[in-house]
Amino acid sequence: MKRFMKSLLAKYMLIIIVAIIVVQLAYLLVGSVAIFGFNMQEDEDIDANEVEIKWHEDANRIQQVNEVNIHNLFKKWKEIYPEAGMFWVDGDGRLVIESNTMAELPVQWTSVYTASFLKERYNGDPFTVVAFLDNKDVNGFIVFEIPRTAFGPPILQASQKYGGLIIAGVFIFVLLFIVVSFLFFRSIQKRLLEFQESMGIRDVDGLPIKVVIKKEDEIGELEKSYNTMVDELSESRLREIREEQLRRELIANLSHDLRTPLTKVRAQTYSIMQEKLSDEGRQAVKAIEVSISAIDRLIENLMSYTLLMASKYKYDPTEIDITRFLRESAATWYPVFEKESFEIDVSLESLGVWKVDPIWMGRILDNLLQNVLRHAKKGKYLGIKTVSNEQYDAILIIDHGPGLSQESNEKGAGIGLTIVDMMVKGMELDWEVQSSEDGTIIKIIRFK
Amino acid sequence: MARVLYIEDEREIGQWVSKDLTERGHQVHWLTSGEGIEKYIPTVDVVILDVMLPGLDGFSIGRRIKKDYPDLPILMLSARTSVEDKIEGLDFADDYLTKPFHPDELFARVEVLLRRYQKQDEEMEIQHLIVHTKDGRIIHKETQEEIQLTGKQYHLFQFFIKHLNQILTKEQLYEGVWGDKYMDGDKTLMVHIRYLREKIEKNPASPTIIETIRGIGYRVKL
Repeated sequence: MKRFMKSLLAKYMLIIIVAIIVVQLAYLLVGSVAIFGFNMQEDEDIDANEVEIKWHEDANRIQQVNEVNIHNLFKKWKEIYPEAGMFWVDGDGRLVIESNTMAELPVQWTSVYTASFLKERYNGDPFTVVAFLDNKDVNGFIVFEIPRTAFGPPILQASQKYGGLIIAGVFIFVLLFIVVSFLFFRSIQKRLLEFQESMGIRDVDGLPIKVVIKKEDEIGELEKSYNTMVDELSESRLREIREEQLRRELIANLSHDLRTPLTKVRAQTYSIMQEKLSDEGRQAVKAIEVSISAIDRLIENLMSYTLLMASKYKYDPTEIDITRFLRESAATWYPVFEKESFEIDVSLESLGVWKVDPIWMGRILDNLLQNVLRHAKKGKYLGIKTVSNEQYDAILIIDHGPGLSQESNEKGAGIGLTIVDMMVKGMELDWEVQSSEDGTIIKIIRFK
Repeated sequence: MARVLYIEDEREIGQWVSKDLTERGHQVHWLTSGEGIEKYIPTVDVVILDVMLPGLDGFSIGRRIKKDYPDLPILMLSARTSVEDKIEGLDFADDYLTKPFHPDELFARVEVLLRRYQKQDEEMEIQHLIVHTKDGRIIHKETQEEIQLTGKQYHLFQFFIKHLNQILTKEQLYEGVWGDKYMDGDKTLMVHIRYLREKIEKNPASPTIIETIRGIGYRVKL
């Protein structure tokens, strides 16, 4: 219950209930006034009758008919019915006293006019009472007129009197309701926007950070769930990092355990090479040496391939001057190709800055250049060039070997190129191979 | 001759490397773990360190050595080939060679380190020049005259000597000697190489000591 009371639903329900109660109270008030007014309406005749009876009584009660007495009478009635009009027409049909009358009255009353006046006023508005003074028609008659609304129900009177105020009240109430609702929803909107903004903030590790829970309502609950999710995400990231470390460690250890015996084999073959050997023996030892290098590369490629397949190969793209990078890679590979008497043609134009992982890029070049060394030795040519046009920038590795379709003495080239493919695509670059019997051109392309 | 401290727990590999380096003229102290290295460290010129060792691993040993003896070159020699391991190793070590390696390569790398740290008063013959690596003197073998270089020429030549047989790009040379970022199209380096060639080459028009490697950079070969 306590929780419900803190909820946004409860708050808005409260606003609605208050609004309904206020409306109901207003209805009740208006209704009771109406009911009261209805009762009053039932009494209207009595009231009018009372006025009529009293007017007649007061007219009869005047002993001496003169202007002063009549004037006093009118004054007395004026105090009770301020909106009433009164006049006296004497026995000669002369209008003697006139007070607050509602119509233009003739100074001299004829019998015809009197008759038409009575006819017009009978059951008409204003409510009119005509009484002979002292019950004798010689003294003429006094007339009391009052708008029928004076006898109307209070509601009518109130609406006439306070109509503007009621409308203003209703308007203010509606406005108040709109303002309260607006403020209520605006506070919700503001908190949701703040929440959304907080959700966009990232910690140094790239994970979202927790939000501060200010209120324990529905949004507070949402924030709590979000924080739980952030916790779970951090935990899962931590688990992933641990798993990644384990996997790397396993692969590193495996690689170590494979390479150590390989090194021993190399040590032994090296020792044998120091001995006096027949040409055949020398040839056999050389073949072992070549195989050691091949297995070494294969282990390396297998490890990389396993990591790449599991998306666990560390990828850290940085902006590098690609031409400088190429030149430095070419510098490290140059002596190897030089030793094999390759013609080396390095022609590099500036390709600007590429956002790539230098380790990945180095690996791609190593694999491609290693392939040239292993499979295109016959061509004795290595070209490292750059091309730049409107569509793309590209790095070209060119050889004059027998082409990729030709059988090579060394197997295992497939995995090397698979790694190149995965890494090129992983860095959002493209590559294409043009291979014929006259050589191979490998293009690493960055579209503009 | 240099004094080499070699730490390797694999006996076969240890024996082989010790024997080979000794045959090539170095004095080798081979240990199978990091225990007792303190005794040798102050007297050796270079350390060759395996990573997977019983007890303290190679990375920890290397870091300790480098902390106390920053001028002692360390070469990591390991069967751990992952990028992470290489990065961790090169954080303190001067070189990282992976197994299976060729003894020629190991020897060459040790030589580079010794030269870089000028651990040997080596008298090097580069064609008609005799170069004293420690004090940087250059003597013309035929005339026995010392070749005088200006400050920048001297630094440039020293940089080549420290990186013998390596091809150095324009950027590497400029940044190594001038300590500034190389701007594309800057002719300063080329001008200095021309002056240097005029002083050290027999025929500066067709240089043989400072080779131009087309499209890449320059190289001084032993």
